[in-house]
Formats: sequence, structure tokens, C-alpha cells
Amino acid sequence: MKCLETDKLISYAYHLADESAASEVRAHLEACPHCREIVEQHARLDGLLDEWKTASPRPGFDVRVRQAVEAQQASGQAWGFWGWGWTRGLALASLAGLMIAGLLWYAHSYLRVSHSSAIATRQSHAASSAQNPSPEVKIQSSNSTNDGGVRPAQAISASALGVASLNEDKDAQALEDYDLAANFDLLSELPKRASRVVN
Amino acid sequence: MVLESDLELMLRVREGDAASFEALLHRYRVPLVSFFCRMVRDQGLAEDLAQEVFLRVYKSRERYQPEARFTTWLYRIATNLALNAIRDRKETVCDAPGDDSDSGPILDRFADPQPTVEQRLMRADRERLIRQAVGALPENQRVAVILHKYQEVDYHQIAKVLSVSESAVKSLLFRAYETLRVRLEPLLREGQI
Repeated sequence: MKCLETDKLISYAYHLADESAASEVRAHLEACPHCREIVEQHARLDGLLDEWKTASPRPGFDVRVRQAVEAQQASGQAWGFWGWGWTRGLALASLAGLMIAGLLWYAHSYLRVSHSSAIATRQSHAASSAQNPSPEVKIQSSNSTNDGGVRPAQAISASALGVASLNEDKDAQALEDYDLAANFDLLSELPKRASRVVN
Repeated sequence: MVLESDLELMLRVREGDAASFEALLHRYRVPLVSFFCRMVRDQGLAEDLAQEVFLRVYKSRERYQPEARFTTWLYRIATNLALNAIRDRKETVCDAPGDDSDSGPILDRFADPQPTVEQRLMRADRERLIRQAVGALPENQRVAVILHKYQEVDYHQIAKVLSVSESAVKSLLFRAYETLRVRLEPLLREGQI
């Protein structure tokens, strides 16, 4: 007689087989001492394994579990307040900081553009004044003569040009340009005046 | 007094009922500590891991799905924790062969009321051999045997705990029990005498 597969015997020994398979094994065991021995050994093994006892939880186990759960509850609340709240606060603070930085940058850029525009306007105004001197311009000179003698450029009053408030370098440059233009005009008239004097 | 099912208790825990959590703790504290004792063979670590299981049950209470049996869920958590603990310990703890240092409290607690010294020694030796034989099984076989033999979890449920097919669980059990039979044959022969 051919022995059954070990799996079938073990399945029978540990009640893992369905009823039809169990019936087949039971019938075989009646005629096969070898397989019967294997099944009996597994039955003894089942009993032997029962000898491995374990201890119950030591006193205080339940208390420790409760404490762990309570700590979890507490940390959950703390997380809700300090965790998410802190994170959310940080995000809001970052957003506010970015907005403030953006506003500052925008304000700075705007002021710089406005200032440059104002300077450009003043330069333009100064240049046009140099080409077409205003009738109100008063030219003063300690050596001034009624006949319109030579008038040094230094004598030209800046306040008369309406640029008294200019205190920037560019403003000063505009003033210098004006003085140069004015002096050039005067120098160009010198030969005429000289000939007139000679005559 | 009618015992409430695990499912009923867990659904109440999900609603925040502390008494139901206490009932589950009372019901599963011994099985879980026993499971971990056999898995990690360290009473202190076993209690720590059992505590962690209860803590995870509490933390995951809102995600609990009543479709699965509570014990399936419980032992899945426990198995994962146990296997992780075993893997972690492999690098830090090295049990000497035949080390019997953790048998004392177990024997003290479960020994017969008045065993002789010889009986105590023989029993300790048999238990040590059983522990070693089970402990030498591959991880999955060990889990399957401990769940099946000691936790009385049927193979359908073990399949769900281990996320494998039922035939795979049967195969694990066949190999594990046959290996144990061969390894513990001297003790089995002793028992016949």
C-alpha cells in the first residue's frame, strides 16, 4: 500500500482537512501503520507544544497602557494646538512677510522712478531755459555796466533761474551746463563789442 | 451578562467610548502578551509591544473598517510589530544557543504547585527545546504556527493576517509542523515511555 502524502496526514492531524479528505485519511490509517505513526507523532507534538507556557502581563500593564493612551490624547491635543496651529501660524507669518516685502519693494521702486522723473523734468526745464533765457532773469555783476559790458558767468544768480532748490549732483550739472551755454553766448559777442568800442 | 462582540466594542471606541476600550484591553491583554512572548521571547519587550498594539488600536480607531474581523486587524498589527522587533533585535541581541535566561518567571508562574527539583529541571529543558525549535522556524512559518497553535486563529484568518492565500497558509503550517516533529522527535519518543 502506498503511503499518503505527508501534507494530507498533517492536515488531518491538525484538523485542517475538510470532511471528505479526513474520511480518506481515516480509511487509509486503518491499513497503514507507517502513516498512523506519523499522525500519532503529530498528535503528541500538539500536546508537547502545549508545554510552552507564557507569563501573563505583569501587574501594572493595564495602567501603562492607559497612561500611553492618555499621553497620546495629550500629545494629540498639543499637536492640534502647537502642531497644526504652529505650522499654520508660520505659514501665515511667512505670507505676511512676503506681502510686506513686496509692498516695500514696490514702494521703493515707485519712489525711485518718481524721483528720476522729477530730476529728468528739472533737467529738461533747465536745458530749455538755457536755450531761451527767461525775461525775468537778472544778471548781476559787480562790473556790470549800463552798456552791457562783459558779465562774468559767476555772477549769474542761480536763484534767478528758479533752480535754488536743486541740491543734487545732477541738478548741479544742469546748472553748470546752463552757465557754460550762457558764457558761450557772451564770448561769441565779444568781437562785436570790441569792434564797437574801437569804433 | 451578555458579552459584547469585538466589533460592537470597537465601533464604540471609534465613537470615543473609553469603557469599550477598557473592555478590549481586558479581553486581549493576555493573548497579545502571550503572542509577543512567543514571538520575541522577552517578557519586557512583549509587554511593550502589546502596549504599542493597544496604542495603535486607539490611534487608528477612526480608520477601523468593520468589514474585517477585529482579531484579524489586531493580529496583523501585532505580527508586523513582532517581526520588526525580531529584525531589529537581530543586530543588537544575540541569544546564546541553549540560553534559558527567560524561562524562570514563566516556569515559576505555571509550574505545578509542588514539583520536585528534577521535575522542574526536566520541564525547563523540554520547554527550552520547544522554544528553540519554534524559534528556529522561518519567520512566516513561526507566525503561522504561533497564531494557529497558541492563539487559536484559524487558517482562513491567518491568511488575512499575513495577506497570503489560504493554501499558502496551509503549506506554511504543513512545513512548520513537520519540521517541528522531526526536530522534537527525541521528546516525542520520551513521551511514549
